[in-house]
This record gives sequence, C-alpha cells and structure tokens, in this order.
Amino acid sequence: MEKVRLILTLVTIAIVVIPIVGMILAYQGNLVGLFVPPEINEFGEDLMGGEDGPGMEPPTMVGEPQYDLEKKTFSVTFQYSNSFPMDITVKSLTGNIECQEHGFHIGNASLSDPVSIASGETGTLTVVGSWTDEAVDHCRAEHVDEEMIDVVLVDLAVDFSGIQIQLDPSMMQQGMQIPNLALLQE
Amino acid sequence: MNSILTRINWFALAGGAATIALIAASLVAPWWQLSVGDNLLNINASPINMNLGFLDTSFTIPFLVALNIVAILTLLASGIVMIIYSVIPNKSYSKHLLGFGYKKPLFTVLFFVIGLVATTMICQSVVGLNLPLMGSTTSTLPIPLVSGITLTVVLSAGFQWPFWLAIVAAGLCITARIYHRKVATSEPEVVMVAAAEAKTAPIPVAK
Repeated sequence: MEKVRLILTLVTIAIVVIPIVGMILAYQGNLVGLFVPPEINEFGEDLMGGEDGPGMEPPTMVGEPQYDLEKKTFSVTFQYSNSFPMDITVKSLTGNIECQEHGFHIGNASLSDPVSIASGETGTLTVVGSWTDEAVDHCRAEHVDEEMIDVVLVDLAVDFSGIQIQLDPSMMQQGMQIPNLALLQE
Repeated sequence: MNSILTRINWFALAGGAATIALIAASLVAPWWQLSVGDNLLNINASPINMNLGFLDTSFTIPFLVALNIVAILTLLASGIVMIIYSVIPNKSYSKHLLGFGYKKPLFTVLFFVIGLVATTMICQSVVGLNLPLMGSTTSTLPIPLVSGITLTVVLSAGFQWPFWLAIVAAGLCITARIYHRKVATSEPEVVMVAAAEAKTAPIPVAK
C-alpha cells in the first residue's frame, strides 16, 4: 500500500518537474526565448519592414482629383502597396477637412468601398468627399487671391480589420493643397 | 453478474474516460478564446494547448508549452488511474489511487479559471485594457501605450465546449469520490469468509 503511494507521489513529481526542467535546459542559452519565441521577433521585424525600414508606407495619389461642382463632391484615387506579411482589409476611412490657416471646416472625406489587399500586392483606394456652401463662402472671404488653399485632414479614423485607429490632431502634421473652391465654382 | 456491476465505481470509470476525452478535445479546441478585431488576433487558452494566432500565423510560448505538457501528463495519469481504480475500488490501495486521480481535473479547472480571472484583472489595472471573460466589448488602448494614436478594438471572448467538458469530468471525479464510500462497503462478506477460512485452517509458519 505504501509502495503504491510512493509510486504515485514519484509520478506526480516527475510529471511536473521533467517537462519544465527539460524546456529550461533546451533554452538555457537563450532564457528570454523561453517566454518570447524567436518567431514573434521575426514576425515583428517583418511587420515593421525589416532592414528596409518601416512597413507602413503612405499611399501614393494616382492622377488628379476629380471634382463634381454641381454636387460639391470630389474623388481621389490612391495606390497602396501592402508590404505587411499578411493580407489587410481597410473597412472604412473617414476624416474632416479643415482650412489649415483658419481651422475652418471645409468638408469631409471617406473611403468609397472597403478594400482588401493581399500581402505584397498593390490595391487601389478611392476616397470620396464633399464640401459645404460655407466652405465656398470662406474661400471667397478669406482666400480671395489664392489659387490653392492649404488644408489639413483631422479626426482621421481608419477601420483596419476590425481595429479602429484614430489619429490625434498632433499626429496630422502633413498638409495638403486643394484648389480655391470659390474660383472652382465660378 | 450483479455483484460485478456493483463492484465497479461507474462514476470513476466515466470520470476517467471523460478526463482522457478532455485531453483529446482540448488539443483541437481551446477552453477559452479571445478574438481581437475581425479575427486579427486570437488567443486560444486552455491548460492543454495555449497559443496566439495572428491572422494565419500561430505562435506558442515555450514556457507555456512546458506547462501544457505538465497538464496533459497530469490529466492523462489522472484518467488512467481513475479507470484502474474504478474496476478495483475495494483493494487496500484503491483509496490511494482515487486520491491521486479525482482531484486533478478539479484543480486543473480551478487553476485555469483563477489564472484567467487574474490575467483579466491585471490587464485592467496595469494596462487599463478591459478584457471580457464572456461576450463582446469595445476597448480603447490607453494613450501611454500608443502615443498620438487611439486604438479602439472589439474584443470578443467566450468559453468553448471543452471547458464545459472539463467541468463535467471534474464533477464525475468528485462524485466518484463520494460514491467510493458506497462501493467500498458493498462487499464485506468477502473479507469475513476469508477470515473464517483463516481461522479453520491456519497456515503453518515456516521456520
């Protein structure tokens, strides 16, 4: 009876000790790897673009923006090369356009349709937007002699595979130029 | 035939079989799963098989693999011992077999649930990330982690069917322990006959 109890105790100890000690011995030269496997580091490097630099390259604009003066809408096409090691889906993209000089609300922009881009492939994103009558009045009043107006995209929100990314105004340093809406309307 | 049936601890037999079935089930499905976004990140948690899935890529942490092996061997030993005990519940060492086997599924479930609750509480208090144990929630990653960018993610979590199987296995093993009293006292006549025979025909002691 005591023999059975002893055997069961030894089995319990062996079951707990052998796998843990075995794994520690297998990783004795790299104890960090015991908790953070090398695959995660490699994947992280791939995600950040490896030695070639960051993987998040900004999309490039294709052609000229298209304007519909009657509907007060515009359409811009971008191409984006997916350098991430996985397929991505941009479900939505929304933002507000403001006059950089006066902070006046010009209009808004959004992604026309969700876009899925396979890893290593290039996808086309079409951004559509509209401007307001007040924006035209603002251009007429404040930017009389200017052909182009500096604007900035604020409150940018991107839905990327179910993750909502919102950029703070401090992150939106990159300005853009649009034609003077007052001149465009004339 | 009837005495054979009453001599078996059926709850222990079922508990042992359920424990071994639990190991097989847990290798194909987790006990608890957390999905981030549209299955962008999946955390599959169980004492048997713990892994992280990022899109199509699966990661395992070696230390957790060692703990998984410990859990597999513990449950396997428990299941086998419970089955052996179930057919010989009246032997002098049967209570040791039962004591070894019946607690392990229960402790595995308890440690898993405590670990899961502790992890969610630590995430809430240290990182400020609200992880649901069951159901869906929208959680915002705090600014100190991602400066200038606010990440809002939909987190969906839930217990999967192997977790409920684990509770059933643990319940059967505990019932087997309670039922042991009935099975162990069901055939005292065998002991009495043996004692009577020993009285009438004593075995000569060899010098």
